[in-house]
Amino acid sequence: MDSMPSIPAGEESPRDWLELPRDVTLTILMKLGVVETLEHAQFVCKLWYKLCKDPSMWTSIELDNMLDLNTSFSNRHEMALNAVDRSCGGLVSFSTKAFATDHLLMYIADRASGLKCLRFACCEFLSGIPNAVKKLPLLEELELTMCWFTEEEIKAVVLACPLIKTFKLNHQGSRDPDFANDNEAFCIAETMPQLHNLQMIGNGLTNSGLEALLNGCPHLESLDLRSCFHIDLSGDLGNRCVERIKSLRCPHDSTDDYMYVSTDEEAILSYNEFCKFM
Amino acid sequence: MSTEERRIVVLRSSDEEIFEVDIDVASESQTIKHSIEDDDSGRVIPVPNVDGHTLAKVIEYCKKHVETPRSDDRDAQDALRAWDTEYMKIDQNTLFELILAANYLNIKGLLDLTCQTVADMIKGKSPEEIRAMFNIKNDFTPQEEEDIRKENQWAFE
Repeated sequence: MDSMPSIPAGEESPRDWLELPRDVTLTILMKLGVVETLEHAQFVCKLWYKLCKDPSMWTSIELDNMLDLNTSFSNRHEMALNAVDRSCGGLVSFSTKAFATDHLLMYIADRASGLKCLRFACCEFLSGIPNAVKKLPLLEELELTMCWFTEEEIKAVVLACPLIKTFKLNHQGSRDPDFANDNEAFCIAETMPQLHNLQMIGNGLTNSGLEALLNGCPHLESLDLRSCFHIDLSGDLGNRCVERIKSLRCPHDSTDDYMYVSTDEEAILSYNEFCKFM
Repeated sequence: MSTEERRIVVLRSSDEEIFEVDIDVASESQTIKHSIEDDDSGRVIPVPNVDGHTLAKVIEYCKKHVETPRSDDRDAQDALRAWDTEYMKIDQNTLFELILAANYLNIKGLLDLTCQTVADMIKGKSPEEIRAMFNIKNDFTPQEEEDIRKENQWAFE
């Protein structure tokens, strides 16, 4: 919506938007996102200022457009910490794209022991993740998209969070034979027997890795193998997948809803910019 | 009562306007749905908080969304979204009344759509612009503004 609806002239007087039920105003404000809420909405009037401090507004925090901001990295960082503060320990879900530091992670880990869902996209060099997740034993969903963690780091995370039912480890994908690699698949197969949902877009796993997963994760209900160009589902293994897995996505299925099929170079470049800060 | 008759409910707005509506359409409102379940004798269901103009608009939404089959098809989803966008081209007062109606009548999709519309109007605007748009008074004292500025230093640099 880019046009401003006009108030009709005549007897119709403008409505008092502050009279909306509290829950409704909260619903509207929650759709603004972190940046718009903290930079603009909270300063409109006393009522909105108060509502923007309501912990129920901050149970789910998404930092997905921090790179667009016209302000210094340290200000953006302060904003992120402030958002976490407002959750008052009730943070359930945290998601970030190309904006994460070890400091922020530990800040969350110290204040959100009940965190259920953690999502990273385009974040790397976060050596603090294994330590942070030790304080997040209730984690049920973890996403690492276009992030490069070592196997040791992934193992450490997985062992610290035995309740993880949904794991997403997504890359860009490549048909290059050198890209074929089952290490991540084997790692998951060994350490995550409780897994229900696995997403491994653009992974280099081969049929060996896939077989290990089917054996190691007996509760798997959904499996997303899009852009995994080194597996071949045409034979028995493919049949086994179709039989066992309720929701299966195959290597050549559409990746319309996955934005990292081509390298998100901008995001990674900007990330390197603030790595220098830390 | 024949099956045919059962399929219609009669709604009466706050300003006494009468609407005959298919029961599936009316049941998009959880509030009305529970009303029907509690008393299906076929009497008129009063909707005291919503005027005729707004109720007509609500019914229009419910009708469209009941008639449109749920589909994974991208084109179908885009088409419905385009309809929603056209539907939301309304003046601000109607938008306000529609939000209240969607809330009172408990129609999740409509409440979500209207709230998103307001959020989209707010996005990208400064506090002054937001106040002007919604006729909201700045009730901070100069001292209070100074205090919150200090508290949120990073938002002002």
